Amino acid sequence: MRLELKKVVKQFGGLTAVNGVSFTIEGSQLVGLIGPNGAGKSTLTNLISGILKPTSGEIWFNGERIDGKPPYVIAARGIGRTFQVTRAFRRMTVLENLLTPGLAKFGNRKSRAQLEEEAMEILRFLTMDHLRWEYASNLSGGQQKLLELGRLLMMDPDLIILDEPFAGVHPKLQRTIYDYIKRVKARGKAIILISHDMESIFTLSERLLVLNFGTLIADGPPEEVKENPEVIEAYLGKDEEEDQFLPTAA
Amino acid sequence: MNTMRAYYDRYLPWALGIAFLFGLLVFPFYQRESPYWVYVGANALFYAILASSWALLAGYNGQFSFAHMAFMGLATYASGIVGREAGIWALNWSPALSIPFGVLVAGVVGLLIGYLCLRLRSTYLALFTIAFAEILRLVFKAEVDLTGGPNGLYLKTFNLPFLEGLTRYASTYAPMYYTMLAVFLFSLVVMYALVNSRYGIFFRAVREDEEAAAALGVHVVRVRILAFVVSSMIAGLAGAVFHHSPGIGIVVPDEMQIGRMSLVIAMAVIGGSNNLMAAAIGALFLHFALEWLQEIPMPDALMSWLQAHQATLEAWGFGLGEAGLKTNAWRMVAFGILLMVTLRFWRNGLVSPILERIMQARAKEEVARGRAAKAGKDLADVDKLVVDESPNEGGQ
Repeated sequence: MRLELKKVVKQFGGLTAVNGVSFTIEGSQLVGLIGPNGAGKSTLTNLISGILKPTSGEIWFNGERIDGKPPYVIAARGIGRTFQVTRAFRRMTVLENLLTPGLAKFGNRKSRAQLEEEAMEILRFLTMDHLRWEYASNLSGGQQKLLELGRLLMMDPDLIILDEPFAGVHPKLQRTIYDYIKRVKARGKAIILISHDMESIFTLSERLLVLNFGTLIADGPPEEVKENPEVIEAYLGKDEEEDQFLPTAA
Repeated sequence: MNTMRAYYDRYLPWALGIAFLFGLLVFPFYQRESPYWVYVGANALFYAILASSWALLAGYNGQFSFAHMAFMGLATYASGIVGREAGIWALNWSPALSIPFGVLVAGVVGLLIGYLCLRLRSTYLALFTIAFAEILRLVFKAEVDLTGGPNGLYLKTFNLPFLEGLTRYASTYAPMYYTMLAVFLFSLVVMYALVNSRYGIFFRAVREDEEAAAALGVHVVRVRILAFVVSSMIAGLAGAVFHHSPGIGIVVPDEMQIGRMSLVIAMAVIGGSNNLMAAAIGALFLHFALEWLQEIPMPDALMSWLQAHQATLEAWGFGLGEAGLKTNAWRMVAFGILLMVTLRFWRNGLVSPILERIMQARAKEEVARGRAAKAGKDLADVDKLVVDESPNEGGQ
């Protein structure tokens, strides 16, 4: 697995949400993507997964240029993602939610019964097998997060982008998500983890990417990034003494 | 007791399905003295096909189109035009050839419209399809040389000798009725095959969240266009066969007007647009109900009382027939109220929840069977497992 971003820019009118971001992820790395609110994390995710097209720059995945390709093509190439706000198929059962990526998988030769068996195994791992006939709309927020993660296991992509998987999740379910991430990692998959939960992200990530105002300001091991003055400034702001002289509008 | 419950859950859908089919099959014999009601039955089947195919597009795939009647009319006109003996594009084709041609035209135009509508959602899609439907209707109305204009286009009717014999035992409209019944069953088989295939799941996934579906690898363009093409072709088939039937033989542009389209939508919504069969049953029931409401039969005692108050009744918009009360426009008011009540209190329609309840019982039993088989248990123990199962009612 190799994902490469080359000077990717995304502008919405006059606003530059992603500003010349370049990085490469190779092998089964677990990469944390952090940044303050509005830093451009979700925009970057949408660019990689094909929901948005970059204004300029290139995105390569496993030797193929993927920027500008529709999301279902990118998914077929092996990039899977969850969304910041959970997007389960609410009027479909839990089992149907899981079957969707399995059936959509390019070149799928498995029968529906085999896929159902696979889905049930995933649901058992997520401790949701008793909910298989339940409509997704009846699940709690945390369960819907798990359902999204389950869909990704069914999809079995090479690169998984998890957008805020711990947000609004009960600590018990958080444990399941931890286990999920470890399991996916053990399968040799690459993961991009976006989270505001600093403890989780510093514990789990092998490498951190830090975005601020659309620009990549740090890229390295968590211990190193933690000490980066630019990162500290982005998260904590400048010294109070300096700040009080800044105009309020700034 | 549990065994009985398991059998009940397993066979109830089949029993109801067979009873429903049997009822449809014997209807013309049962009504052999009232050809009018058999004619109404054929009409009801026509609307049932339209409502269920619209449900495929709107209920399953979330594309709220107002162009369904336009596709019905397009296929019928295309078939009628190539079936003429003289005139522009007249090829003197028999209905056996011209009907498939009409259906194909509906499919090709459905493909084009489906493609153009790819980026349109909800209100915009509705407005686009209304515009398309109205343009088509007005073109058919204006092109007098080609379509016969407002007076309509006369069509060749087909004869099915093997059904003609039925007129002696059933009703004079039996051939038409059975032809529509065959088309109805064929359409349902095609649509159920589609919704039970992987595309059925894709249809619903795209309806729920197009972006999320695409992110999971669903080819949303193909799915949306497929839904549009299939539903357009089925509407076209219903229209072409119905209008070529003996006893009809004409199509007029006003059949494509928005009021008719709204009727089809209302039938599907009242039945339940998230279920093909529910939409079809809704259409069958409502078409019969609307016909019955035209003149509600009254007992003699009540008739004489009504006759005494005829002036008051007429002032309120009612009328008096030979043996019943004519509701005139009030039947449509009742229909509208039913639609409003359904939308407010039963958003899944009136028939769909009942069908889902019946089918869900079967699904529970299937899961239990699967578990029992996997555990190497005797299937005779299935009833125990069914009871152990704690299923979810799954509201929407």
